[in-house]
Amino acid sequence: MSSLLRNYRFAASSARRNTFTLHKSLRAVSSESSGTSSIQNTEKVETSVTTPTPARDVMVADVVSGAPGELRHRQVRIYKPTRNTMQSGSGKSNRWRIDFEILQGGGRWEHQLMGWASSADYMQGTRMSFRSKEDAMHFAEKQGWDYYVQPEPVERIPPKNYSENYLYSPNKLRICKTK
Amino acid sequence: MPSRLARSATISRSPEEARKRVIQLYRDWYRSAPEIVTIYSLNMSPAYVRHQIRKKFERNRHVTDARAIDVLLLKSRQDFQETLNIWKMADHVNGILLNDTDRPQRTFLQKFYEGRDEDAVRPAASGVI
Repeated sequence: MSSLLRNYRFAASSARRNTFTLHKSLRAVSSESSGTSSIQNTEKVETSVTTPTPARDVMVADVVSGAPGELRHRQVRIYKPTRNTMQSGSGKSNRWRIDFEILQGGGRWEHQLMGWASSADYMQGTRMSFRSKEDAMHFAEKQGWDYYVQPEPVERIPPKNYSENYLYSPNKLRICKTK
Repeated sequence: MPSRLARSATISRSPEEARKRVIQLYRDWYRSAPEIVTIYSLNMSPAYVRHQIRKKFERNRHVTDARAIDVLLLKSRQDFQETLNIWKMADHVNGILLNDTDRPQRTFLQKFYEGRDEDAVRPAASGVI
């Protein structure tokens, strides 16, 4: 389990690094006005690790959106939620989400009397859904947010083995049914 | 019948045209500063109003995207019309148009005593400035 977690963390951090380089290149593109120089720009930054993406025309929406400038210093996470283990199953897990990172400092506190969790962070309850990862990335770029993309959870469909309950095995009793 | 100072939305065809429109808009704001002070009975000089308006323009000086400039122009034109037609209340002018939204710079210790991620989040209505 721990090794799995470690692997996951490694994958997440490497994905983060990759997307960061990509993101920086795209922001550089958005600040430039001419199309030809923007294409050269992305080609310069691309390495063997980053996937080549065509340069997109990103409008800077953060200057006209009226959102507080502090949001530009925060990071957002783009991820696909894992499947719910309860009866609703895979519902709502096919969309990509944008979440703001939790503030690590004193942005959160506990209510002294009741122990409720409080927060000064107005973005903590904000969650945005997108049809695809690219849509989410495009939105984050437009808003000027630093983002990283978490790798998609691997969906595993376990094989059906109901009939194995009734298989005959000679010596030892395989399953002990109590009901 | 269009109301006073109403304009149809236009798209700038070149950066030069956008620049001209921005300067024209700034000029309109600049010239109307005494009128704003008079009609809203503000307890400040027209020079201060001009200073605050100038700050608003300077904040978006770095914008190069033509579409963004057009949106900013449109918004400011609307704001201008609302201000001069007295469609605003005094609080809109005092608190939004002429108020400083930037938080003053604080020392390391001040930030420490406050105990917040103040650079990452601005308290919405906690009274902390």
